[in-house]
Amino acid sequence: MSTQHSKAAKEFLKNQTYAKWHDATFWAVRSKRDNMAYGLDEWEQLREKASAIKRHTITHLDEYLDQFATNAEKNGCIVHWAKDAEEFNMIVLDILTQHNVKKIVKSKSMLTEECEMNPYLEKHGIEVIETDLGERIIQLKGQKPSHIVMPAIHLNHDDVGELFEEKLGSEKGNHEPTYLTYVARLSLRNEFLTADAGMTGGNFGIAQTGDIVVCTNEGNADMSTSCPKLHIAAIGLEKIIPNYDCLAVFQRMLCRAGTGQPTTTYTSHFRKARPTAHPMHIILVDNGRSEWIGNPKHWESLKCIRCGSCMNTCPVYRRSGGYSYSYFIPGPIGINLGMLRDVKQHSGNVSACTLCLSCQAVCPVKVNLGDQIYLWRQQLDDFGTANKQKKMMCRGMSMVYGSEGIYNLGTSLAHWANIIPSPLINCGLNPWADGHKMMTFPKRPFHKLIKDLEK
Amino acid sequence: MSNKEDILKRYRANVREKYNMPDLSDIAAIRYPDPLVQFIKMTESVGGRVIEIKPGQDFNMLVKELYPDAKEIASNLPEVTIATKNPDTIGQARDLNGTDVGIIRGQFGVAENACVWIPQTMKEKAICFISENLVILLPKSQIVNNMHEAYQRIEFDKEYDGYGTFISGPSKTADIAQVLVMGAQAARSATVLLLPE
Repeated sequence: MSTQHSKAAKEFLKNQTYAKWHDATFWAVRSKRDNMAYGLDEWEQLREKASAIKRHTITHLDEYLDQFATNAEKNGCIVHWAKDAEEFNMIVLDILTQHNVKKIVKSKSMLTEECEMNPYLEKHGIEVIETDLGERIIQLKGQKPSHIVMPAIHLNHDDVGELFEEKLGSEKGNHEPTYLTYVARLSLRNEFLTADAGMTGGNFGIAQTGDIVVCTNEGNADMSTSCPKLHIAAIGLEKIIPNYDCLAVFQRMLCRAGTGQPTTTYTSHFRKARPTAHPMHIILVDNGRSEWIGNPKHWESLKCIRCGSCMNTCPVYRRSGGYSYSYFIPGPIGINLGMLRDVKQHSGNVSACTLCLSCQAVCPVKVNLGDQIYLWRQQLDDFGTANKQKKMMCRGMSMVYGSEGIYNLGTSLAHWANIIPSPLINCGLNPWADGHKMMTFPKRPFHKLIKDLEK
Repeated sequence: MSNKEDILKRYRANVREKYNMPDLSDIAAIRYPDPLVQFIKMTESVGGRVIEIKPGQDFNMLVKELYPDAKEIASNLPEVTIATKNPDTIGQARDLNGTDVGIIRGQFGVAENACVWIPQTMKEKAICFISENLVILLPKSQIVNNMHEAYQRIEFDKEYDGYGTFISGPSKTADIAQVLVMGAQAARSATVLLLPE
């Protein structure tokens, strides 16, 4: 009966020490977020406004995209439109080839993960260097991010220390985070200075000014665009917002919700290339978004600003880790975006939810994440991805609960199950016994006890 | 049909219900009795340092005292007399690597989160990030309460009108085992010098 997610989670839970650390670490981030939220009387008002701005913007996105592109072009940028991942990758490669680029430094971008850009560029002979420390670590390790804001959270300092010994020649046995960060700094500094192009994602695009706004703590987006002569910014359609007044709302919430900081260290506005560089390229990427807006139950997932707070608070994410999900974005928002992407491939994730709704209680833009997961579950049978065992059980249960006679017979006989020897009942054939012991059935069922009391 | 028209047409056709823009004028944003005090407190809490310059005091001397070992000091500001490099006249951006102290101007600070608005006012903006230590000159009267006020007044430079950034403290990361480390890829320390009127 296990779904793909729970099977994968079993692997994660084998290392209990790490699993406990993971859970506690994310709960600490959630608590930091709470401190930030409680520190502002207007926090809930901001959430309301943020949600309403996003609802408005994504239902008028055609107008705002046009305005954004017009202004960006007026600023001197070259704007490209990519309908899907393949087209996006080709556009990037084309720009790089035109400028004879051999090496590119890039800041973190979930969009480039979504489009699997790095392997595509590497296949075409371009060296791609991730410059966010977490992204760099997993790139050196040959892995994918396990969290959208903290991509290397599944590795501890010994894992990173050993990796750096091998790849960056750090001191043997020195696994102190400050030292390791310094080693990475020196190595990345060299990359920044020698790269031919820099690439950034974009947290926001401002329709009124044509700005691409990038928020980082490390300053790596700014370093990536300060030395190389070429800047390419890649941004999903839904990241465009109307103006600075709206940006103020999101800027205040993004980092408070995501990491519990009052702001990221850098909130950088890129309007055009530096005077000594080639014109800046902006690539607007659809890749499914123009279809998702038409989904009556799930279009609000497009409001997401990728802060990660839903996964930080999720009891299932905290206890199963990012790699237990089949989509590259884990947690509640990843479950929903994965289903929008491909129901056949990602239906296994929808069971990774207790419907506690903590995610939508913290989401700064009020995406109804848990409600949507519930709605996805109702559609699994139509998709042909419902679990056969669960389906059979549901049929059985509706038979039992639909008939008073069968129900009463069942509850009066249930206590006989108590005398079945434990090894027979707590075994692999009984999925309910997986992870916990079976209950003891009472001799007298509850409804009989109540009737006796009423006499 | 071009890609742009194709994407916009499909998007437009698929939008179901349209929603109105909310009124943002009634946001009851946080304000502080003394924004400067809050700005100083926040700067320290994000790992930065604030020093008030007294009327008549030469901040150049102070920078020398703060960074006695600094060999390379970069700035394009006329009031900086100790600069060894100028981001306006340097050959290439990468030549600014090895800068021990970069001195730049901030337009205004934000009390709620210690952000300082720094529009690009030099040919190579690398100075703001590549320097080991960043010094920001900020008139102490120029502090706003929150980001709503900040975004009402940000302006880009007339000459270098392509870039501007808010900086709050030094570059930092917690990507290794969630341990906070100052000095990731950009400046390892950030000092705001508050200038008198």
